Amino acid sequence: MKAHPETCDPARVDAYLAESLGVQAELEFLRHLEQCPVCRDRIQKSAAEPSTWSDAEEFLRDQPFDSAFLRSFTQTSTESGQSEAGGDHEDDQNRTAASAEIAQVLAMLSPTDDPQMIGRLGGYEVSGVVGSGGMGVVLKAFDGPLDRTVAIKVLAPRLASSGAARRRFAREAKAAATVLHPNVIVIHGVSNDGPLPFLVMPYLRGESLQRRLNRLGPLSAEEVVRIAQQVASGLAAAHGQGLVHRDIKPANILLEDGVERVTLTDFGLARAVDDASMTRSGVIAGTPQYMSPEQARGDNVDARSDIFSLGSVMYAMCTGRPPFRAETSYGILRRITDTEPRPVRDVNPNIPDWLEHIIQRLLAKSLDDRIQNADHVAVLLRKCLSHLQQPSMAELPEECRTPSRRHVWWRLPQSRLRAVALAAFSCIAVAVIFAVSQTNFIDDTSQRAGESTVSPNADSSQDTATPDGWDAMQAEIDRFEADLSVSEVDVSKLWQIQSDIKPP
Amino acid sequence: MVEEIPETRDSLLIRVADARDQVAWEQFARLYRPVVYNVARMRGLQDADAQDVAQQVLIAVSRAIPAWKRIDGTTRFRHWLCRIARNATINCLTRQPGDRAVGGNFYLPDAVSREADIDLDSQLEREYRRQLYRRAAEVVRSRTDENTWQAFAMTMIDGIPIAEAAIRLERSEAVVYAARSRIMRRLRDIVKELEAESDESSS
Repeated sequence: MKAHPETCDPARVDAYLAESLGVQAELEFLRHLEQCPVCRDRIQKSAAEPSTWSDAEEFLRDQPFDSAFLRSFTQTSTESGQSEAGGDHEDDQNRTAASAEIAQVLAMLSPTDDPQMIGRLGGYEVSGVVGSGGMGVVLKAFDGPLDRTVAIKVLAPRLASSGAARRRFAREAKAAATVLHPNVIVIHGVSNDGPLPFLVMPYLRGESLQRRLNRLGPLSAEEVVRIAQQVASGLAAAHGQGLVHRDIKPANILLEDGVERVTLTDFGLARAVDDASMTRSGVIAGTPQYMSPEQARGDNVDARSDIFSLGSVMYAMCTGRPPFRAETSYGILRRITDTEPRPVRDVNPNIPDWLEHIIQRLLAKSLDDRIQNADHVAVLLRKCLSHLQQPSMAELPEECRTPSRRHVWWRLPQSRLRAVALAAFSCIAVAVIFAVSQTNFIDDTSQRAGESTVSPNADSSQDTATPDGWDAMQAEIDRFEADLSVSEVDVSKLWQIQSDIKPP
Repeated sequence: MVEEIPETRDSLLIRVADARDQVAWEQFARLYRPVVYNVARMRGLQDADAQDVAQQVLIAVSRAIPAWKRIDGTTRFRHWLCRIARNATINCLTRQPGDRAVGGNFYLPDAVSREADIDLDSQLEREYRRQLYRRAAEVVRSRTDENTWQAFAMTMIDGIPIAEAAIRLERSEAVVYAARSRIMRRLRDIVKELEAESDESSS
């Protein structure tokens, strides 16, 4: 095992701190650290300046006045109408707040005679809680007279206390109910007169796109186009009726089990939250990650705002993470208005460049540079989808073949059919070669790992990631950032691995 | 049903056109309240009075907000908030003792406290930094696994020597070094980001 005669490499220290080493490289680095006091010193120095270390020590060590007052503002301010929190990543608190909200809603249900049920709302027998979000709580319920299971979205009590929000909720829900389209969720009914305003929708079996991304990471180009195409069709139908969604994000896109159908939910409801915010402290509900620049600036929005958000969603499908990320809501909003995201193909080279280009066109900061309507996007993507499914039968649409200003280097030869076939073939070839080499490498390293000190039970698909599979690994890690619970698992696995390193 | 919102909050409910500013205000208010509170306590005020001062300062700032305009894109809203809040705190703590609830507090004579303005300024700055770090630590902690965090917390916050922390965590010292350095790096980056939001003049 002694293997590598380690040298001290400051670049590796930085890479470790930036969390950009592969698992294997990280292990090697830690092994080196065991033996090298110089690097132990170096890692502390490069982690932060000495003054920052001492500041952290001092400021975190004690709070001069440990009062209930401070705790109430610095820790659990997302609850109980005292919210001053922004939409930061306060997952724990949000979780607590969410369960408090669920409890609050459940407490407001009427009693039921049916022992199987947990309460009654309107004429519906509530059987369980599906989840909760920025808007409120979603319940699973049974509609007796019509003998069907429904989902009931209850406006959060904290929002229901605002008259403006209630009115908007009802108005938007009614407007959404008029949109009849296979990719837009059907609204069975709206109730706004009880203490809990709610709307009734079909109960769909499946998962949200957010869940799918958390679970599987980046999707294939075909999946991306298929899903985006349906979202665009749904949007086109709604826009045709003058309805802007305003909150297009993976959590609002449902993927039904078994069928390849995509359903958009929560039409226009973001506005109800906005209204409530107006009368409260202006909390931005949920994540602003998919907002358009005009939303981020607080300008008026039109249908083109949804088109930008669709671009962000497509970006997330391609890469496994939203295009604009920062530690705080404020940081995210600034990124949205001020910066260009990292090109899709830098993150996921498997995405064809024409798809990257379409996403860029949707993510144009200036309204006029964007593709102007959802219908156009839907038609374009439909053609792209046929092309992906049957490259020899369907050509890429004309506008995808025109090289953009940004992509002057990219030109498709005149004999398109052949070129496309060739491209497809070489993609496959590269993929195969990559897969084969990857497998070899894994075999190779797991063998080495077997001899060395990595315990075999730390073996899973991710642990076998090699420095070669670094991009994939990085994508994994980045993706997990989006979902705290998963990221915890991921990191503790690293911790677990570290335990297997023993001093020589 | 419940149409009303607690009275004291009302005055803090503001609506800024720019969503970025709005988020900035909320995050600022959350960060700044304990700053004022701590400084007030350090100056001898009791809990309830310090709370009042914190509330007064935030109200004063929120009232001033409508007067704020993005002048030329160089003054960031947060930066401006910091300045207004600092002035409001100095006003509250040094110039208008009569404005506060009467209680068992003692106040410094006016002349002395005026001299102490500079002192107060640095106290505010310091408390502000404290809150930045604490806020950043919350963020880091919520995103890190417990063991890695403990490697940092034991050695930095609880003052346990690295060798001992390594034994308690059943890891080698190198792992503790690595883990705490990584946390420190993230902490530093987040503090920087939070700071940048208040000071940056370009992006």
